[in-house]
Amino acid sequence: MFTTNRALRFAGVAAAVTMVTALAACSGTPAPSASSSGSASQPASSAPAALTNIAVWDPYPQHDANSDWAKYVQSCAPAGTTVTRTSSATSDLLNSLTTAVKEDNAPDVVMLDNPAVPDAASAGLLAPATDVGMDTSGFDANLAGPGTVDGVTYGVPIGANTLGLYYNADILKKAGVDPASITSWDALNAALAKVTASGAKGITFAGIAGEEGVFQFEPWFWGAGATLKDPGSAEAISAGELVSNWIAKGYAPKSAITDNQSASWDLFLTGKYAFAENGSWFAKAATQQKFKAAMIPIPSKAGGAAGVPTGGEFVLAPIHKDNAAAHYAAAKQIIDCLVSKDNQVKTGDQLGYFAAKKDLRAAQIASDPMWKPWAAAIESAQGRTTDLGPAYTQTSAAISTALQASLNASGDAAAIKKAFEQAAVDAKG
Amino acid sequence: MTLSTQHSAARLPLKPAARRTGSAGSPDAHRRRIRPTTWAGLAFIAPMAIYFCVFYVYPLFENVSMSLHRFTRATFVTGAAPFVGFDIYKEVTSSPLFAPTVVQTAIFVIVSLVFQYSIGLGLAVFFRRHFPLSEVLRALFLVPWLLPIIVSATTWQWMMDAENGIINRFLGVFGMDPIWWLNNDHSLWAVVIANIWLGIPFNLVILYSGLQNISADLYEAAAIDGASAWRQFWSITFPLLKPVSAITLLLGFVYTLKVVDIIWIMSMGTGSSQTLATWAYAMAFGKGSSSVIRYSQAAVVGTVLLVVALIMGFVYLFVQRRQEER
Repeated sequence: MFTTNRALRFAGVAAAVTMVTALAACSGTPAPSASSSGSASQPASSAPAALTNIAVWDPYPQHDANSDWAKYVQSCAPAGTTVTRTSSATSDLLNSLTTAVKEDNAPDVVMLDNPAVPDAASAGLLAPATDVGMDTSGFDANLAGPGTVDGVTYGVPIGANTLGLYYNADILKKAGVDPASITSWDALNAALAKVTASGAKGITFAGIAGEEGVFQFEPWFWGAGATLKDPGSAEAISAGELVSNWIAKGYAPKSAITDNQSASWDLFLTGKYAFAENGSWFAKAATQQKFKAAMIPIPSKAGGAAGVPTGGEFVLAPIHKDNAAAHYAAAKQIIDCLVSKDNQVKTGDQLGYFAAKKDLRAAQIASDPMWKPWAAAIESAQGRTTDLGPAYTQTSAAISTALQASLNASGDAAAIKKAFEQAAVDAKG
Repeated sequence: MTLSTQHSAARLPLKPAARRTGSAGSPDAHRRRIRPTTWAGLAFIAPMAIYFCVFYVYPLFENVSMSLHRFTRATFVTGAAPFVGFDIYKEVTSSPLFAPTVVQTAIFVIVSLVFQYSIGLGLAVFFRRHFPLSEVLRALFLVPWLLPIIVSATTWQWMMDAENGIINRFLGVFGMDPIWWLNNDHSLWAVVIANIWLGIPFNLVILYSGLQNISADLYEAAAIDGASAWRQFWSITFPLLKPVSAITLLLGFVYTLKVVDIIWIMSMGTGSSQTLATWAYAMAFGKGSSSVIRYSQAAVVGTVLLVVALIMGFVYLFVQRRQEER
């Protein structure tokens, strides 16, 4: 009858004692040796054993093992080898790569989101392209920029994407708004006022904490004339006010503070919203809706198209110590296959991306009318890390915090000003 | 009465052992007599000891060591993180985020525990009486426990949506203004509400099993003496449930202190919903607003959490001993 009580008391004591002893025992354990067990200096490894299994990591978990993408990557395996593909979300991928490089167990090829490349390179996770022997020439400078850190190029874009302003043509027509007239913030705000007055909802965007929200904020940030070097400027504050006022006036949903790009796209697909800021990777989906969806470039404050950030991943070869030559040779073959002249557009089409070489992209855009409005945007898109390199990560974090505070402030100008001034301090780390 | 018998039963086997070690005055005799059994004992302990070292001591040591070295992504790879003593502790505790986060963590844990425990206890007492469908109803109360947290937290996030959430619609029926649940100011209360809901089944199950141990005779005697239900609760149920309550609250405390998942899914630990646990998670893995990796700072917060849990362990032991002494 009393077994429960006794068992419980014993469990409690055991738990507490475990915690106590655990801490006490810590002081006695010797520090583990930090030196790596890499055997790079072994003379026997001069003739590299060719790999039969090539490990590829990508951040596309939405494509499962039976997907076309998986088969496509597999088709890049040279004769006599197989590709083992592993997928996880971008931020997890970088963390896993960090641990894997530490253990000299990294994959042969990794695809990292472009703003993460300088961070990975400066942490010593990536092999320079010259060591791997990959061909990095011919890519558009604005798209290939993030792959070069301190003058060393580490990889090439697998493709590129950017942001635009989708609109629901049916709602705009009903509200009497001409999409061609939306070329400045004032015009956009006027259009938002009109569509909400007509009974529709305004605009969806992703304000989620972290890089994804900052990516979506940058067109407004740059469109106001702000630069990443000074996130506390009056221009930056005005961009914060713009999006914050949308929440205050009910143009944008309050869930924007936690919405990622998929969630905000789903809101747009309900057919109730007039506008959606979202990526070119949804261009195909936009053509398949019950309502007519189209895209215009994101307007800047003063008028004309705003600067938009480049999106998309880079293909890279992580650092190897043991049998490095064989790993790099395998990486070169896979990377050359994915971004070769013949395959670049195919790769892009698989992922919904643009080819990163101008001539190839021109052919890609000409082949499908849905890409046409995007042509100018992708040409003029800016690399997020171009100005700051590895320091971008810190600045992006500061802007994310300020953006979150602004959206929460719901139009409170003083709070927004304070948030961005704090961002200028935080960005310096 | 029941409890005191238990105590003596628990103590009895301890006494001869204590006498034996106490009587081993001379070291020679001690060594000669104990040795074979000691070896056997050590052999029996070895699997546990090895497991304990590999899975508890080593990770804990690494955590503390990490908080004393300045790790970045680069130094993590090379292993050449410089030793900086308690510098990072100073940095973290003097950060403007530290004090609010501690306060929010305290609110999150205490408010969650108070409501989880009192509602769980109320339900446990309620289900003591058997009535038609009581078993089914009790099983239904376990649903929050059985659902994957990703499901329940996402559902809470939807229900608390500022514009379309069912909770705001419900409040609207009573003429209340919609609440922006997940914004910076309110997100702490949003996650507290969800966490209370999540923790009730745990409290219900343990307290209910504790109630089974209270003899029905006591209630019968009390009823004959004319004690009201209220009086029976405070004079019989609550005092006799104290040992079970103590372990429930201790486990609840540790579970609540380390909660990351439900907060993260609902609000990503933004605004007032940032607790020490979500802060450590965000810094260790570069999640949330900042994708800058801060291994060492996260290890500092982890160590702070560890120490707090440890103190609670001691408090529990102290309470336990005092109960036994009575």
